[in-house]
Amino acid sequence: MRANSLGRFVLRVIAWLPLTFACWYLAAPLFVWPVAVLSEIVTRNAFGDLVKTVEQNGPLLNFITSLRPGQATSGAKTVLEVECNVLLFTFGLPMLAALILAAREPHRVRHLLIGYAVLLPLQTFSVVADFLKNAAILAGPAVASQIGFTSLQREAIAFSYQFGTLILPTVAPAVVWVLMHRRFLESFAGREGE
Amino acid sequence: MVRFFLWFLLLQATLFGLELTPWVQEWFVVPWTNTLAATSAGLVKLFDPEVLATGKVLQSASNGFAVSIEAGCNGVEATIVLVAAILAFPAGWKRKLIGLAAGIVAVQGLNIVRVISLFYIGQWNFNVFEWVHLYVWQALIMLDVLIVWLLWVRTLPRAAPATAA
Repeated sequence: MRANSLGRFVLRVIAWLPLTFACWYLAAPLFVWPVAVLSEIVTRNAFGDLVKTVEQNGPLLNFITSLRPGQATSGAKTVLEVECNVLLFTFGLPMLAALILAAREPHRVRHLLIGYAVLLPLQTFSVVADFLKNAAILAGPAVASQIGFTSLQREAIAFSYQFGTLILPTVAPAVVWVLMHRRFLESFAGREGE
Repeated sequence: MVRFFLWFLLLQATLFGLELTPWVQEWFVVPWTNTLAATSAGLVKLFDPEVLATGKVLQSASNGFAVSIEAGCNGVEATIVLVAAILAFPAGWKRKLIGLAAGIVAVQGLNIVRVISLFYIGQWNFNVFEWVHLYVWQALIMLDVLIVWLLWVRTLPRAAPATAA
């Protein structure tokens, strides 16, 4: 790409965005499935028997825990279920796809697949942090006491949730794109690589 | 490039951690967000006098609809990313300062467009508001940061020697 074509590049990105957003939204259950699998693996291995299973319903994940809800009454559900909307943490995918397609560099399909694979663990991090925030902080003291996290661990969960919500979903795709288009950027900037 | 990314990640994590401290929230983030709401209301009043700003809330006096500018919508995180990207990239301090000043104006300018557009989209259709608010504008703001950074990189001298960030 020539250095003076940034405007056209931006226009191509904007043109691709509606299509990539539509694909991402319509195919959300497919894109979310690996996140569901990874989230279940992480939570079941890292937090003992806290999570029994993770169920996927479209773009939503439902963490079925072994925790008793604080306000449980007879006849009510006896375990806490935490719902997580994975779309909140994966909207960077259509942005990454639009950037890759607009750059018109070789190996676009490979870049799309690599980008998706690289983002998966980061999306899983955000989803798990969201689940932990809901279970350990927002579900109330009765539930929190069953989990037994220390105040430091709760602070770490709060920070992870904020980072996983406010920074990772948007920054990670941009960083991945920059890393996969170093030559483009170096020629664009007219500089040699560091 | 590796050095740039290490510095970028370090700066970004540090600035984001600072942003979450109570002191920075009280003395910077809250006043910043309130100013954003007031600025947005001031601009909207040019064509719609039925708008009020109270703290971080932008409200329509005619139908009561209101938007509250929360974390993630005040442009602070986007600005942090831009600041980290510019500071981490090898360039002279004068160029970095110019890039920061122009970049922050560009990012916050688009963020005002985001707030105002969401204010009216919400009054029109709440489902569309949720979609645009949660997904589309988040991506567009980060795209803005990326484009601003690319534009700044483009202004750097072609053969400039790399200097430590």
